[in-house]
Amino acid sequence: MSQTFLLEPDIIAATENVMPDLNSDLVLAKNFLKQQSAATGDTLYDHLVDIIQKILSHKPPDVVDNFEQFSWEVKQEKFRPNFDLLNDLYLSPPQLSLVRRVDEMFRLVASKAEKADDLGEEEQELDLEEEDVKPRIVDLVDHNYYFREAGYGLPDSECYAVYIALNMLGIKEPVSTVRFFGKIFGTKANYFVAETDLTLEELDRRIREFELKDMPGEGEGEGEARPPEEEQKELLGEGEAKQEKPKEPVPPKLPPEPVSTWQPPPIIPVERPGQGVNKKVFWVCNNPGEPWICLPDVTPDQIRVARLTVHCMTGDLDAEVQVFPPFDGCERNYLRAQIARIQSATAISPQGFYTFGSGEEEEDIDMEEGMGDLDFNPNPFYQGHTLKDLVDTNLTYWVHHGRHILKQGRTLWWNPNAGMEEGIEEEEDEVPPPIEPETGPPLFTSLSEDARIEGQNPWSTRISTILAPDRAIAVIRSNMWPGAVAYATAGKKSECLYIGWGLKNQPPNFSPLQLSQPQEEYVIGPEVMEMADPTFADEEAYRIAHLPPPPPPVLLGEGEGVFGEEDEEED
Amino acid sequence: MNVHKLWEYKELINVNGMMFTSELISFLQNSLTMLQVENHFTHIQYWGQLYAVDFDYHIAVGITNDVLNDRKYFYTTDFKFWSLLPKPKKKYKLLSLLTTFPFRGDPSLKIKVLDEALEEDHPDRCRIMNEESRLAATISNICDEAEVCARGQLIKQPNGTTVISPSFYGLTSSEAKQLKSYLHVRQPQQRWNTNLLTRQDYNYSMDFLDSVDQDIPKGCWNLSLEQNGSIAYLKNLYWPGMTFFHRVRTPDAGFLYVGNGRKNLDVPFLL
Repeated sequence: MSQTFLLEPDIIAATENVMPDLNSDLVLAKNFLKQQSAATGDTLYDHLVDIIQKILSHKPPDVVDNFEQFSWEVKQEKFRPNFDLLNDLYLSPPQLSLVRRVDEMFRLVASKAEKADDLGEEEQELDLEEEDVKPRIVDLVDHNYYFREAGYGLPDSECYAVYIALNMLGIKEPVSTVRFFGKIFGTKANYFVAETDLTLEELDRRIREFELKDMPGEGEGEGEARPPEEEQKELLGEGEAKQEKPKEPVPPKLPPEPVSTWQPPPIIPVERPGQGVNKKVFWVCNNPGEPWICLPDVTPDQIRVARLTVHCMTGDLDAEVQVFPPFDGCERNYLRAQIARIQSATAISPQGFYTFGSGEEEEDIDMEEGMGDLDFNPNPFYQGHTLKDLVDTNLTYWVHHGRHILKQGRTLWWNPNAGMEEGIEEEEDEVPPPIEPETGPPLFTSLSEDARIEGQNPWSTRISTILAPDRAIAVIRSNMWPGAVAYATAGKKSECLYIGWGLKNQPPNFSPLQLSQPQEEYVIGPEVMEMADPTFADEEAYRIAHLPPPPPPVLLGEGEGVFGEEDEEED
Repeated sequence: MNVHKLWEYKELINVNGMMFTSELISFLQNSLTMLQVENHFTHIQYWGQLYAVDFDYHIAVGITNDVLNDRKYFYTTDFKFWSLLPKPKKKYKLLSLLTTFPFRGDPSLKIKVLDEALEEDHPDRCRIMNEESRLAATISNICDEAEVCARGQLIKQPNGTTVISPSFYGLTSSEAKQLKSYLHVRQPQQRWNTNLLTRQDYNYSMDFLDSVDQDIPKGCWNLSLEQNGSIAYLKNLYWPGMTFFHRVRTPDAGFLYVGNGRKNLDVPFLL
């Protein structure tokens, strides 16, 4: 066997041989490859050895096509700094904190489930009572399946985590029903929103708290309106007093200072917990597994401002909301106001899906009495509609089950004169004319009555599949609130969901509210009007016209005196 | 995004609640592969969906050689027939920004657009365009302002053509957190060296595009890392519905537009 390549000592010996032969060429080439790079101290020879070693041990397919990538990877591995001290330090993955919370949640829910199992086996009879205590959690996983069929929804990974988080909410907080409302994007973090009903005890507690706060609040409503005025008056009084003192030598001839005639509009009372816009309680969290945070009740004023402004959520509940007109509260209030608006506009269901009362016995319902505040429940007799009806563009088979929010920012109209009439009648004779109560469409109004956007339908209906009509479901999407969708099967399932930025589609673009005209301070008259300055010619003419009459020819001595007197008088 | 990878992306893509259904993916893969073969495209991408009142438009892009210049847009409402979109005209691009009403779903529909900036008796005050040109103009507007790629996804070759890099490794997790790592897919509008000089580790073949962090106002791009920081989503506030996603440290990246085709001019008030 002839040896083509020499061993190392032979090569060194061969370098001395200057004759051109294969071995010396080889040595020269090898020497070149072994040249150290000045920057890294690495040699191509070692690099090639590493690459070939890696290729042979890993056996990746088509190395030649992405040889550059391979070479890059080998280099990257080599250049990883190898400080012994740091290598000992374990860097935990960044998701650790989240995983810890999720783990905690899983433990909690699992322990509850185990307990429920035990109870179920031991006390079958007490089950009925147990039912009352256990919150009803809407099966998100099931609904999400249908949403996914229709082309919307949450990814599976998120959906399951949210579902467990809803369970946790049911265990931890005093709620009786839990429903997933949707997801609202923010610039820094997103919100997952759960919509709940409180348990009776908790609701009672909150109502009591609300009344305690609000009893002086009825007075507060007016009381708050008054103090600013009084303060203003006091301030004005002080101001006058201060101004008079230094001015005493010169008696003021200014007209009386103008008094603001603007009166704040009466404060519209908040709807109590469990009523109107505050019927549902909303909880939010940034990530499933984090504790749910309860959003405060929304006030009519917040809804009014939210309607006049656009604002993007940041993801931080305590962030400041800088809008004009000024918003009373921080982002949690703004978020709650937006949710209330979205909920009232996009909570829809097929006709007959919900019914007034409990639905089981036919009740006579007085529509007049409490239009906005009737309870409704799933209709046990709901049979479903055909798909053809559900995707009909007239939308007569879909109804709203969210209460319409009036211009006032309440669902039940509040008469601003009711309280005032008694108080004011004594002072002023004129009773404000009775105000026409605002009315909105009643509950379960068909979507066909919705306001149209620029002549187009505010809702679009689609059928989920073309190829498999047996699996088809109807899906309806709001053009008014992009992100709001609802589905209905031909059977008995229906649900709505909102995933979006919490922004309304306002066809001509948003234009901020203009500042109101400033009040006129003084009565316009010659004293405050601007006039052209008289020119020299005018002044001259005036002077000539007002020249004193030529003095009568009298004695010089007396005449001087007369002149002087006349001058003084004229001045 | 790459049509042939839609099944892998099924769980990743979520644009304002919209997710792919199996039927949509099957339809897209079948009809678009056919379209690709007919037109000899090297790449075919699903671009997105434009909501209309009656039928929704689905848009696809075919790329022959140069990613920036050799693009052809196709649209369909029923996946049976993909029609080529006309070249967007400048005047329609302006007019489409003025139209506020939604698309109807009928490409031949004539629409009247009122330009209120002009005087009452100006002949150009009321212009007519058909929905197809509006569609083309809207898409071109969106592409100019909101189409993005990750840095390194597109590379410029020495001969001047831009290609999709076959060896794109994905951004590292620290790169993915910076807006600087996302570039506009359009002819660069900044000077050629502006984009190079704004970074330390510049690379002539990668940094020839404008990066999105220079867009005005700051905050019009919303970058969020989800699923424990393994997926980066980049959303545009001007065009709500434009979402770019990238799975960190993998070549999986793409964008999708799902929306009503209206530019949101309220952005300065939102932030």
